[in-house]
Amino acid sequence: MNAENNGLVPSFVVLQVGTRRIALPRERVAELIASPLLFAFPHTTPLIAGVVLRRGRVLPVLDLGPGVSGAPSPSTRFFLVVERHISGALEKCAIPVQGACELVSGVMIPGAGDDGFVTGHLNLNGEQVDVLHLEKAIAVSTANQCERSSATEALS
Amino acid sequence: MTEPANPGLVPRDARPKEQVVMFSIAEYSFVISASSVQEIRSTDSLGGNVVELDRPVLQKVRHIVERDSRSYYVVSGYEHFHLPLSRPTSVLILRNVPVAVLVDRIEQMAEMRVLLGLPRSFCGEERVWYRGLTVLGRKVVPVADPRGFLTAEELRQLEEENPGLLQAAGHPAGTSRRERERV
Repeated sequence: MNAENNGLVPSFVVLQVGTRRIALPRERVAELIASPLLFAFPHTTPLIAGVVLRRGRVLPVLDLGPGVSGAPSPSTRFFLVVERHISGALEKCAIPVQGACELVSGVMIPGAGDDGFVTGHLNLNGEQVDVLHLEKAIAVSTANQCERSSATEALS
Repeated sequence: MTEPANPGLVPRDARPKEQVVMFSIAEYSFVISASSVQEIRSTDSLGGNVVELDRPVLQKVRHIVERDSRSYYVVSGYEHFHLPLSRPTSVLILRNVPVAVLVDRIEQMAEMRVLLGLPRSFCGEERVWYRGLTVLGRKVVPVADPRGFLTAEELRQLEEENPGLLQAAGHPAGTSRRERERV
């Protein structure tokens, strides 16, 4: 089934974060961008690796790796631009992804996972791909990174 | 190609410009409005004007420096931005705030043509540290807020533990702390 020619079946973008393949609802995704330069500067917000410049706009880069795959994502050339609602406003953010992303259509089977941020899964030719609730994934990733930082500080 | 009828009417870049000082701490570059910098000095040249705080309440502030009859809290740039230990060689003495910032290097003077708001995803101390972000030479650089180096609460703490110093800093030029103490 082709996602582009069937508007009735929901579409999802399948992406690879670290070692894990996950899916996001298509409507949360703006575009996939390749090779932007990542600019880093000091800050204290968990998960943010820096910013990328896209068409004159600054997009924060949010690494979902600590929550989704258990470790920060390796450096990459690709970023998926997603939309978040923050303090009542819409903001575009870039998520580092490993390799290309895939646009698929299918029916999500609802069901929360143990992770706390999975809302269901897709069956893609026998492969079960978890569908993420983006904001919950960000919250869990933030908590995981804070825990990791505290542990590192305690050991040092 | 057709030439414009009157080249003098070609609109120029009307965006507001701001002169900035680009400095670096550790591996990072920052800019700060030139109008908020009173003086840039080498750390070597400060010498006898530096006084150690009796009661340093903030890790990043251990000294004051007196310049032109005014006193300034010396803020360690790397400690302020939570960066690894660095070697400051310059100090930015700020205008309108009693702050002198230790930085590793002064990179250049530049013209800032755009000030972009910090994305809302940033929700930590950086919201106090920066006025926003700018693009200089295809590089995104944070724009330091001169009032972000010491917040009102931090200034209050310093003043409480080291009474008298803040008043000296806020006193009009021409009357040093020592002079007022003599009165």
